Amino acid sequence: MTAAVSTPGASSSTVEKVPLYQGSTQYRHWRFSPEELVHTRVSLNAAAVRVIKDAFEADSLGSSTAVAFLDANEENLLVKLYIGKVSQLCGHFRFPEEVEATAVSYLKRFYLKNTVMDWHPKNVMLTALFLATKTTNHPISLEAYAHHIPKTAPSDVLELEFLVAQSLGFDFAIWHAHKALWGIWLDIQTLPDIRMDELRDAYDVALKHVRESRLTDAELIYTPSQIALTCFSLASPSLASAWVRSKHTPPASPPTPTSPPTPTSPSPIPETDILELIEPIKSMILQYGTMPDVEAVREVDRRLRLCKNPEKIVGSNAYNRKLEAKERKAAEKRARKAALARKAMEEGDPFGDTIGPQDLDDDDDDDDD
Amino acid sequence: MSSRTTASGWLRGTTIRKGGASSSSNSTRHTTPQVQSTSSTIFGGGVKDPSGRTSEYFSMDDQCPVCKSDRYLNPKLRLLVSACYHKMCESCIDRLFTLGPAPCPICNKILRKLAFTPQTFEDLGVEKEVAVRRRIAKDFNKHREDFPDLRSYNDYLEEVEDITFNLINDIDIPETEARIAQYKIENAAVIELNAQRDEQYAQYLKEQEEADRLEREHRASELRRLEQEEQDEKEQSRQAIIDKLETSDKDAIKLVARSRAEALKRASAKTTTPAFQSSSRLLRSRAAQSTVIPDVPHVPLQDDWYAYEDMFTMRSNYDDPISEAVRKDREGIMRAGGYVVEEAWERALRSAVAGLDIPPLQGIRSADPEVLQETNTAVAAVS
Repeated sequence: MTAAVSTPGASSSTVEKVPLYQGSTQYRHWRFSPEELVHTRVSLNAAAVRVIKDAFEADSLGSSTAVAFLDANEENLLVKLYIGKVSQLCGHFRFPEEVEATAVSYLKRFYLKNTVMDWHPKNVMLTALFLATKTTNHPISLEAYAHHIPKTAPSDVLELEFLVAQSLGFDFAIWHAHKALWGIWLDIQTLPDIRMDELRDAYDVALKHVRESRLTDAELIYTPSQIALTCFSLASPSLASAWVRSKHTPPASPPTPTSPPTPTSPSPIPETDILELIEPIKSMILQYGTMPDVEAVREVDRRLRLCKNPEKIVGSNAYNRKLEAKERKAAEKRARKAALARKAMEEGDPFGDTIGPQDLDDDDDDDDD
Repeated sequence: MSSRTTASGWLRGTTIRKGGASSSSNSTRHTTPQVQSTSSTIFGGGVKDPSGRTSEYFSMDDQCPVCKSDRYLNPKLRLLVSACYHKMCESCIDRLFTLGPAPCPICNKILRKLAFTPQTFEDLGVEKEVAVRRRIAKDFNKHREDFPDLRSYNDYLEEVEDITFNLINDIDIPETEARIAQYKIENAAVIELNAQRDEQYAQYLKEQEEADRLEREHRASELRRLEQEEQDEKEQSRQAIIDKLETSDKDAIKLVARSRAEALKRASAKTTTPAFQSSSRLLRSRAAQSTVIPDVPHVPLQDDWYAYEDMFTMRSNYDDPISEAVRKDREGIMRAGGYVVEEAWERALRSAVAGLDIPPLQGIRSADPEVLQETNTAVAAVS
């Protein structure tokens, strides 16, 4: 989780310590501004549309004009629907919350690097969930997993696994809002005059909001602790602000001499700022934290069937063409190799003669595309 | 067959010899090392292990080269080794040497009855080499400190090795013996001194070992005593709770909780200082024994992370339904892998305050291009 970060420095205690969260891959690779998110999605979508159009045109001229491609928002809508499906599946398998939250994060992150038109979320969702069970140490056998999902073979899940892992940049560890909420629940008990029944109710409501927040982009913009605080604040504003106040008044116990120098790059912002900071999260959760309308998504899905990347559909002309090209390349390579071997045999030395720069041809197997 | 005889033999309390009597001729290695103590016999010598017992070599394929009787005919056959390193059985020795010194039936060297020793090694060459080296080491007992420089010490070692080699392989025996005698005369004083020194060191080691053993015993008994005390205490407090519950009209849960807290306090109060002390003494004596430089633990990574320690204080207990099942788990099945609920709490608390004041990013930045680039190309390569 806190793997290699940009030089945390030498051993001396004078070195400024890096806060743990700032060392996480979540902070370093998966933190965006709202504008960036939009930009990433739009440009991904545009690039995909361009590629697919070319593929259509190559198949038969002018065939792409009639196709209504998905835009970035529609893609996102589809992903959101399948985020909801992850929750359903987790309920069915009785996976813990951590697995569900992790799978949802994987799915969101995957579609910041790929587009729905290449990889349908229906398949990616299954793989992301399976991957999440493994990365969070709640493993389930592949057979049992695929058996409980209709029309799914184990190979369907495994096929995409490496692609998903690669798209995630192998950043599997995720800081979750529900865990932060648990921490708030615990820590708030240290405040004086806390009524447990009130706290309990607030926690239940807040947990509901945390689950809603998974349908939004909140985790890609804000830190998990901020999201958890927001949800708590939605449930009980008074308790939340009391807690934030306690965090920003000097602690009752004298600070230990070994306490590290305040490390955060900006100086700690006062409580009012934090409460202000979470306002946009509140509206985000309330506004987007609902499941999308199934009818609208169905319409999107219907159109997706027409505008999928033809190179990725088994049996289509473009797919066959790509396959042929690949095979041709492989055959060429094999022929070249055979010729070389034969030549070497004829010259008497089965291992070829001196190793030299005579064959600089790239013999790698991954040079398609 | 073996299982049946083994069972009956075991029931009768007789000793069963393992090792196949049937597997003959070719390899004695597999069937061999039967070890017998011969400390009660009149024959001395042989090679002794540090504990002072002599382990005698024994094989199912033993045969006396003189009278050709073997273990099959005579299960009590015992072969001894002569000064010329030839084996023969006890009855042959009695027959040939009872009337005084007589020639060896194999090599004609004059032998005496008392010079026969039990065999320790399967290979008599080894037997001989050990005996020779032992004899040589007795006289050639100089140390590095007895020489002005390393060169002369090495020369000395080489000379010793030369003599040993000659004796073992019977090369120039008279000349070699003369060399040894010469050396003995020249270095009589040093040899005597070194012998004393070595004896002292051996004595010292023995004492050390004894002290270690006593220390270990002492610690074990201490541990047993503590365990017993703890057991008693537990039993007592349990009884106390039951008594209290009987007599008092207070809330049962409160009573149980209070006594539990008391027990916890008691347990934490008696941290194990005596054990620490004794182990440190042990370490000191070890250090005195060897001149090995103490092993400084190697720290591969320096922990320069700020873990928000000042942002929260842990309480010893929380009202926490999430972890209730684990805490209530008396048998500790759920904690088997080393799960500690306090650590889970600490992680949650840390997570609650981590990055609380990090403002969200604004606008489009060009930063992190390499990371994005990397992932993009990687993905492109797969698709």
